[in-house]
Order: sequence, then C-alpha cells, then structure tokens
Amino acid sequence: MDDETFFLLLLSDSNLPTGSFVASSGFESYIKHGFGGDQNNRTTMFMRDSISAYARSALAFVLDTHRIVQDVCRDLEQGSEQKLDLDKYLQKIKEVDELYDAMTLNDVTKRASRSQGVALLTLYSKGLTPPLALTGINNLKETEIEVNSYMASLVAQYKSLVRAESAPGHLPICWGILTGALGLTSERSQYLHIFLHARSLLSASVRLNEIGPYNAQQTLLHISRSVIEAEVVRCKDLQTGIPLNTGVAGTESDQSDGFDEIFRGPANTWPLGEILAARHDLQHSRIFNS
Amino acid sequence: MPGSSTSISKLQAGGGRITLSSHGGKAWISEFSATYPLKLLSPRLSDSAVAIVYVLTYGGGLVGGDCIELTVNVESDTKLLLLSQGSTKVFKDRPQQRLASVQRSDYASRSTPGQAPATLQNMNFTVSSHGALFLLPDPVTCFRSASYSQIQTFRASQDATIVILDWVTSGRKSLGEDWVLSRYYSVNEVLIAGKRVAKDVMLLENNEFDSDSRLNRSLAEKLSPFACYATVILRGPLVKETIAQLTTRYGGISIMQRKAPEDLLWSLSSIGSDKENGAVVRVAGKETEMVKDWLKNTLKSLEQHIGVDVYRRAFV
Repeated sequence: MDDETFFLLLLSDSNLPTGSFVASSGFESYIKHGFGGDQNNRTTMFMRDSISAYARSALAFVLDTHRIVQDVCRDLEQGSEQKLDLDKYLQKIKEVDELYDAMTLNDVTKRASRSQGVALLTLYSKGLTPPLALTGINNLKETEIEVNSYMASLVAQYKSLVRAESAPGHLPICWGILTGALGLTSERSQYLHIFLHARSLLSASVRLNEIGPYNAQQTLLHISRSVIEAEVVRCKDLQTGIPLNTGVAGTESDQSDGFDEIFRGPANTWPLGEILAARHDLQHSRIFNS
Repeated sequence: MPGSSTSISKLQAGGGRITLSSHGGKAWISEFSATYPLKLLSPRLSDSAVAIVYVLTYGGGLVGGDCIELTVNVESDTKLLLLSQGSTKVFKDRPQQRLASVQRSDYASRSTPGQAPATLQNMNFTVSSHGALFLLPDPVTCFRSASYSQIQTFRASQDATIVILDWVTSGRKSLGEDWVLSRYYSVNEVLIAGKRVAKDVMLLENNEFDSDSRLNRSLAEKLSPFACYATVILRGPLVKETIAQLTTRYGGISIMQRKAPEDLLWSLSSIGSDKENGAVVRVAGKETEMVKDWLKNTLKSLEQHIGVDVYRRAFV
C-alpha cells in the first residue's frame, strides 16, 4: 500500500483524538433556534450550508500552511550545507494563523477551532512521530530521517508558540501543518479536512438524536460525498493572500503576485450560520461545546 | 482652500477625499472633494465638535462598472459621522455607458466572464488619536443580478474610536426580489496601531453554475427567513459603555427549544485580545425596519458623544 493511502486511513480513523466529538459547528444551536424545518431534512440542509461555508473560509488557510511546510521539505532536499533555520517558516505559519484569527469574528467558533488545532499538534508529536525504540531499526534513508526530525521539531516549536499564546493555533492551520509534515498532497489534505468536517457533523447529528447511525452512513455516502466534492473543487485554489516566499530557493511558491482577493480570497458566506454558531453558549442546556 | 484644486485633478472618476481637522476645539473640514458619480454633502451644524458628511451618488445608485474610491481622514480630537441618504442601490447594468469621457478604473473588466461588470466601492479611513468615526449608512440593496464589492479599511490609533455599520438587504420587496443578487462581497478590515485586529469578509453569492440541482442551495434558502443582515464593529474608548450594555443584554438571553425561528436574531463576539475594547455585533431580521429599529435603540448610547440632534439623523 502506498504511503498516502495509509495516511488517509490513519487520519480518517474516528478514534483519532482530535476533540471533534465535542463540536457540532453550530448544529445544536441551529436546531434549538427552530431552523431547518422538520427532523427528516434538517441534518442534510445544515450539512450542505455548513460544508460550503467552512470550505470557503478555511481551505485557503489549509493550503497556504501546507505549502509553507512543504517548503521546508523542498529546501531540505535542495540540501544547503548549513542547518536550516526553522524560524522564518514558523513566523510565516503564525502570520497565516493570525489572519485566520482576525477573520474568525466569533468567540464560540474561535474557541472550538483553537482547541481542535492544538489537539492536532499534540496528536502529531505524541502519536505520529516515530517511536524512539525504532531509531536505527527501520531502513529509512538518511534524508528521510532528516526530514522527519525537522518536521518533528517544526511541530514541537509551533506547539510551544501556541502554548505560550503567541500564536492562536487554529484548526485549518494545524491541519495544514500536520498533513504537510506527513507528506500528504495538498489536494488530499483539503479533501480529507472537509470530509472530516462532514463526518463530524453527522456524528453530532446522531448524538443529538436527529438521525440514526445507519442513516448517518447513508447520508455520508450518498449526499455528503457529492457536496464535499463540489465544495472542494470550488475552493481548492483559494489563497489567504499572504505572500509565502519563505524558501531559500527564492519565490517558487509565492503566488500572491497580483492576488485577486475579491474573487480568490477566503470569505464568510453564511451570515446566518455565523449568528447561530455564536449564540451556542446562550442555550439553556446543551451537550456540545460549539 | 490651498491645495484642494490639485487634489481634485488627481482624482479619477468616483474618487473623493475628506479630511476633518481640529482647530481651536472645533472640527473643521479641511479637505472635501469628490468627482462624478460620487457626491459629498456636509450640512452646517450648531455643535461644531462633530461634523456630518453624507456620501451620495448621482441618481441614488450605482451601476455595473462604477468605481467609488473614497479616502477619509479623521484627525486628532475630531468626530465624524458619515451617512448616506436612503439605501445604496446597486443596479445590474445600464444600457448606455455612464460618462464615457471620464477615466474608468480597470475594475469593470475584472469581473467573472459572463457576468455583468461589477461595482466597486473602496474606502480608506484613518482615525487619529482621540478621533472618532461613526459610519452609519443606510443598507446596501442589490437588485436582481447585481454584482457589488465593497472594501473598507480602517486604520486607527490605539485611543481612537470607530463604529462601523455594514448591512445588506434582500432586494426590492415590491418586485418580490428575495436574495436574487448575483454577488455581494464586503470587507471591513480594522488595523489598530498597525496591527490587524479584525477582518470581516462577507460573500453572498448565487452559484448558478452548479449543474447538480440536488446540491444547489440558493442564497434565499440559505439566508431564510431573514431579509436583512447587519454587522456592527465597535472599538475604542467612546463605545465602552455601549459594549458593556450589549454584554449584559446578551448574557441575559437563554434559549429554550423553539419550533420556529424568531423575527430577529443577534450575536455578540469580541475582537482583539482585550475583551473590553472591541466587539462585533451581527443582526438578522425578517424585515429591514426591524433591524433598523434594533440598531437605533442599541446604539443610542452614542448620543452622549455626538449629540442627540446629530444621532437623530442616522437611522431615519
């Protein structure tokens, strides 16, 4: 099995400790406020609007962060003699992260995004780096070992920035770091991110007693699939607008020249969803954190 | 006014500049210019600590390809209230080109192929120390198939106050328009002492190119049952009390399971690291009037800073 397929299986495991089981992305509040009509339809209806809004606001951030991390790999492979300075990459990631923070003007969404983001960084450093006992046993090439160790230290350093509250650590950014560090392609990374958003909404719906577990699988297979596909295609080339020229090799990945923000920048496309998500904490009783 | 004629000649079509200066404790408009189709009006006020400027367009609306570019400087210790007169109407297009002789920006040619040329409003605001900007226009109303972009950038110093209202309605009710615009894009970016604290980007779009109709959710379906959405950004020393009032009111809301949505919904979130210092309020209402009344009552505490008579001119 190729690496990528294996990573996809690994990352789509519903046991992955990412904290998404406490998030309903505003669905609980949507129901409580009397939206979506009858129980048969509202899960699908919310899912469609939520996926399209989330893809439009988050995918540019996944892509740009992923690119920065991939720049580290590229610069390592181009093999300059001196030790690679990770600081400039970390600062770039932080810049992308801070823009997402300034664009997420919603206390509840912000809180949920940050807690899931830091969980991903922890997952990587505790669960996805090679165990110490394996050092020297598996026959990795020297360059692969070097890349692995740089990735581990990039993630660890970014995590300390987040812990020290000098970087926000939002979900799409941390997802871009994690998938970039694992070497997943950006297309797979973006698709999987939206897939996980959809699946987490459906499991929230099951927990809220809106739909049954069989219905959730059926919806994921026959409805979510085309929605995810369409929204990822629509949003996969969006950019944050932050110039990404971190590479020692020059400005290869810097595509922000003449960046047309009006048509290609991230945006909030569902103001109703925003209001309802922000009002989550006002519910008299609730089972989710967002 | 020295220098004003040269700055006018530099302005392209739809360009404008306003500078509010302080002179002996009085607010004084030291720069005031606009070119067609933009029009600025400033009524004389008895209370000279505050200035009011109406930002208008000829014919009361904007058409495809129009480009407005306004620069506003609120200097130290002055207060500016910016208003419009009636909602900003955005038309899809006009049969003949407007004033072919004036220089047009290249924006019109940048719209997506197959769509009518878009309309762009680009506004840059600078608010200096102890200055205050109250931007309280009427809502934008996009007519059927209209495409509109509005980019507002606010650069304020640490102790400046800004109040930004940005709102949009679902169209002409009399014609049964219900979110049938083609594209509405609005950015409000706030930089305090050079640091970006908020960037609100809203995009409302009818995706007509989707072939799979099962997936197609029209804008009207997504935004139903509301016909008006508003965003208010509050920041700075003069809005402390307003934010405190809002926080108390918001905290008092407790939602039980409802069968159907309320007529008006609002939310409150903080901006920046200092919770006391800034807030974003979002409001949605079944009718524009409901939202207007809500805003008028909620922001009433601004009266103490601009005066009762001045505040009365907003939300008419």
